[in-house]
Amino acid sequence: MGNQKLYKGSLQTIILKLLAATDKMYGYEITQKVKELTKGELTITEGALYPALHKLEAEGLLDVEVAKVDNRLRKYYKLTENGTKETVSRLAEMEDFLRTMQTIVNPNFSLE
Amino acid sequence: MKKDIKLTPEQIQELYKFTRQHFVEHYDMQTELVDHLANDIEQIWQEKPTLSFEDAKKISFKKFGVFGFMDVYGARQGALQKKYMKILWQHAKAWFRLPKIIATFAFYYFFFRGLIEYGDTFALSIIGVVVVFGLVKHILLLRKVKKRQKLSGKKWLLEDIIFKGLFLGGGMIGINLFNIINISSPDVYNIFWAVFYAAIFTIMVVYVYISVEVLPKKAEELLIEYYPEYSLIST
Repeated sequence: MGNQKLYKGSLQTIILKLLAATDKMYGYEITQKVKELTKGELTITEGALYPALHKLEAEGLLDVEVAKVDNRLRKYYKLTENGTKETVSRLAEMEDFLRTMQTIVNPNFSLE
Repeated sequence: MKKDIKLTPEQIQELYKFTRQHFVEHYDMQTELVDHLANDIEQIWQEKPTLSFEDAKKISFKKFGVFGFMDVYGARQGALQKKYMKILWQHAKAWFRLPKIIATFAFYYFFFRGLIEYGDTFALSIIGVVVVFGLVKHILLLRKVKKRQKLSGKKWLLEDIIFKGLFLGGGMIGINLFNIINISSPDVYNIFWAVFYAAIFTIMVVYVYISVEVLPKKAEELLIEYYPEYSLIST
């Protein structure tokens, strides 16, 4: 288990990145995907995921779709045009951040 | 190979009831939480197929933390209020463009002249009229939304915000204006104060009109646009 606090500020970027790689995803699928990709290192809690999704939706970065699946309604999220643009810039910011952290944590290491 | 166990329609209804018992009264929010719990319960059953529905539900609910659904619910309300303000702003912009800007300007001029001529008496009368109008409309809208929700058997969060949410915010602005006027204004308004208050009053009139008159009338259209499931359910 990593320190979940360190991931907290990156949750929106993680969601955007996952949605950029696929057509649409629902909340639970996102939590499972993150768990799978990080081999259980990062667990997105329910209390953090939905507020982040709703915030991105209110900002117009995500659009929603609803479909009936297995006797119930499922809400899917997908990127809007603005969301796609925002993903690119947030990922660039994230890379800058990682580079800066790297120079502090391990000055001799280079990503190049 | 593990067999997939799916929840029955009765169990899904049970989950809807469960969210209501945990203070989630809006259908849009319930639906997302029900699907999440259902997915998690099915996942838990993959590992422990003999576990009862009730026990699996308890395990799943615990993952939401000590406040249960409240964190998610509160954040959703905040996000939708922001969305509502965006819709309100989109409608407000029309009042500052032709042709509606003529009416806006007429209001502005009326307030400006009134303030110059009659000072505080005029200012307090205008606030009084707007507050009384707003309150009467607010009571009528509350009745209307209650009737709507009784008829459909479902509450939508955005519907609640449209019909009753933001007027309270408007009321607060009114009361604060009252205080500002009492503290800062002279009995007779000079040009500077008249220009300033006439602008505030004009914005207040546009805001109250859109929130209690325009948006409630467009509620159906807004709900269909915002909730993809809305038309899926109502048809």
